[in-house]
Amino acid sequence: MPETQTPAFRRAVIALSGAPSDARIVRLVAELARSSRTEMVAVHVVEIDWSLPLDADIAGRSEDVQRVLDMAEAITEELRQTLEPVLLQARDVGAALVDEASERDADLLVLGLPYRKRFGGDFAIGRTIPYVLKNAPCAVWVVREPIPEESS
Amino acid sequence: MIGGRRPLPGRKPADRRVRVERPHSAYFRWTGPGQLTAKEAAIRPKTPLGRLWADAKAVLIGRPLASVAEIGERLSKKKALAIFSSDAISSSAYATEEILRALVLGGAAALAFGLQVSIAIAVLLIVVAISYRQICLAYPTGGGSYSVSKRNFGRTASLVAASALLIDYTLTVAVSTSSAVEQIISAVPALAPEQVLIGVLAITLITVANLRGIREAGNIFAVPTYLFVFSALLMIVMGAYRIVVLGEGGGYEAEIAQASETAGQVGLILILRAFSSGAVALTGTEAIATGVPAFQPPESRNAAATLAVMAALLGTLFVGITFLAVNFGIVHTGGASEPTVIAQVAARVYGDGTVPFLLFQSFTAVLLFLAANTSFNAFPRLLAILAQDGFMPRQFALRGDRLAFSYGIIALASVAGLLVVAFGGVTHALIPLYAVGVFIDFTISQSGMVKHWLRTREPGWARRMTINAFGASMTAVVAVVVTWFKAPQSLLVLLLIPLLVGMMRFILHQYEGQANELLVRDDLVIPGPHREQRVVIPVNGINRAVVQAVNFGRTIASDVRAVYVTDDAEEGERLRARWERQLPGVPLVIVESPYRAVVSPIVAYLDVLDQAWPPDADAPVTVVVLPEYVARRWWDRVLYNQVARRLKAALVGREHTVIADVPYRRDH
Repeated sequence: MPETQTPAFRRAVIALSGAPSDARIVRLVAELARSSRTEMVAVHVVEIDWSLPLDADIAGRSEDVQRVLDMAEAITEELRQTLEPVLLQARDVGAALVDEASERDADLLVLGLPYRKRFGGDFAIGRTIPYVLKNAPCAVWVVREPIPEESS
Repeated sequence: MIGGRRPLPGRKPADRRVRVERPHSAYFRWTGPGQLTAKEAAIRPKTPLGRLWADAKAVLIGRPLASVAEIGERLSKKKALAIFSSDAISSSAYATEEILRALVLGGAAALAFGLQVSIAIAVLLIVVAISYRQICLAYPTGGGSYSVSKRNFGRTASLVAASALLIDYTLTVAVSTSSAVEQIISAVPALAPEQVLIGVLAITLITVANLRGIREAGNIFAVPTYLFVFSALLMIVMGAYRIVVLGEGGGYEAEIAQASETAGQVGLILILRAFSSGAVALTGTEAIATGVPAFQPPESRNAAATLAVMAALLGTLFVGITFLAVNFGIVHTGGASEPTVIAQVAARVYGDGTVPFLLFQSFTAVLLFLAANTSFNAFPRLLAILAQDGFMPRQFALRGDRLAFSYGIIALASVAGLLVVAFGGVTHALIPLYAVGVFIDFTISQSGMVKHWLRTREPGWARRMTINAFGASMTAVVAVVVTWFKAPQSLLVLLLIPLLVGMMRFILHQYEGQANELLVRDDLVIPGPHREQRVVIPVNGINRAVVQAVNFGRTIASDVRAVYVTDDAEEGERLRARWERQLPGVPLVIVESPYRAVVSPIVAYLDVLDQAWPPDADAPVTVVVLPEYVARRWWDRVLYNQVARRLKAALVGREHTVIADVPYRRDH
């Protein structure tokens, strides 16, 4: 395959965080899936505090949580694509994403990254993305949102 | 899986995760705080019979479209021209004939005026088209003359305009279908006994195509319209070349020399009659202004541009065909077996019996058939606007599965089909009713525009007002002449208009009355319920359905009583004994009914309860709880709940009474 061609993926897991960048990455993968028939799985992980049981009835009751996946589904439908929404509760988002991608035999994992700075001015990448980059068995795309004008 | 959450192992014990089921996602989508949007699965019928019907409907008219797809259903200018112009353009196929048939009464000298009459009509067409173009731009919500007159003249004039239009659209369907069927029958006379059936089938076909949605109807109907337009334009160019360059034709040449001398003898009445007959060419010009919202954005500008193209095409075709007919000396005396004027012109240009001639004839027949389609777009849209304003039942404002105004489409098809049946599918019998309404409509809309310019005084208002005033007076004359010459049948339309206006006023009155009854003042804070409630449960014994109903009744009031109607006192007493043992605390009233009636004694008992209530206290709300057994299959429904059904019918509308069905299902 020539390097200039967009690689084709069989199954892409899209990690949704509820941030505005979700719509961007869903659209990006849906556009890619249109030409390469990639199967899309949108995963939203709700992190459960250690003080609560892992199967506490939290994500299922929250409209906001459901809306994250419903929005992704709506975008793909708009582009005449289908997407499987998956809602997870876990102690650690990164581990849940990696495990879900492995279990589904995904060959692409896409994450959005909001542009944020730590106190002191350093760029903040968080802990999920480094974990995924280090442990995911498949290709990982990280889509960072554009730098807001006031930060540049 | 426990409670919709399924535990899944992770690579490490601490990485376990739980997959949460999302039961809503099959049917709904959260689209905002507290806001769900239904998916297609939510409207899918649950019963096998319902699903079968939905599948059959999907095959016939297509799968349901979401409201957001409405913008995609809008018409491009090319499709809109085909959809909204088929009526107007098809009239070029017979308008010349109408003129010549009127003028033939004055002999050959009168026929020589055919071209002048057609030019005069074309001038009127330009004026009317300019007026409607202005309406498209000034009233982008559609509704055409109805909207213009509503804004400028008020309710009555607007309802007259709407009624005239509704009548005319209906007649367009009946007339054009009958006319197309007659063309088919003249080609295949063996089909004559099935004339009405073919007409009704034709209307059904157009109805189904329109129920599939406006865009799809556009796809279906655009090709025949353009085929006719291009072949007719080609015919005009070829004919004009032969007349002007090759010097063929000659027409009524011998008589033209005498024309100036005989003009006086031809008479104003005959010319007016020819003018009013030929003015049918203008019918359909108003349709675009009615359906402005059907266009792609910018709606008004696209509608105005389409209208201009349509008027230019219609004018060219109409004057061109008349020019050829007059120069080729074609006449039509009205004989049943006589070829139509356009057929005679085509025979002269393309050659009688040749392939181009036959093709042109078939395009013409198909176009006449499709003229009905314009009404199928304009009529339901007008009805929807009237329904939004409260003048028609609200269902007409609802869009169907394919975003078309299905109720309006079906209403139009039904009335037009009835007309075809009632008049035996004979065009000649329907024609006197036709085109009366549309000229009343033209007059009202243009007069409305005169008032519009006087009110708004926009730049160029004086010039525009003059055009509209001229157009209004011309179309008023035509309206009078058309009504006069088509009397007495045309008077039926004049009778129908006030009837329709009265009906629409009545509907508005009903809706306004209901709205007033249901009105809740904006500043009112609703207090908690203060009226007492009591529950009455008609029972047929003690069974699970009754127990469930009694338990439900206990949850909504403390005053709960059961009523048992019987004609056997002993059986009643046996039930009482069992009731007191098994359902203590719920009084059972036994009503003995020596005449064996069940429903009336219960209603009478409720009346007595009401009368026994202290007159100075607020009447209590009586909740009649009906235990119902839910039948498993559709066919065994007839075996159960017949008394409950009758009781419900007897209690509907009873003061201070609420009926509550408590269904008992076998799997409970």
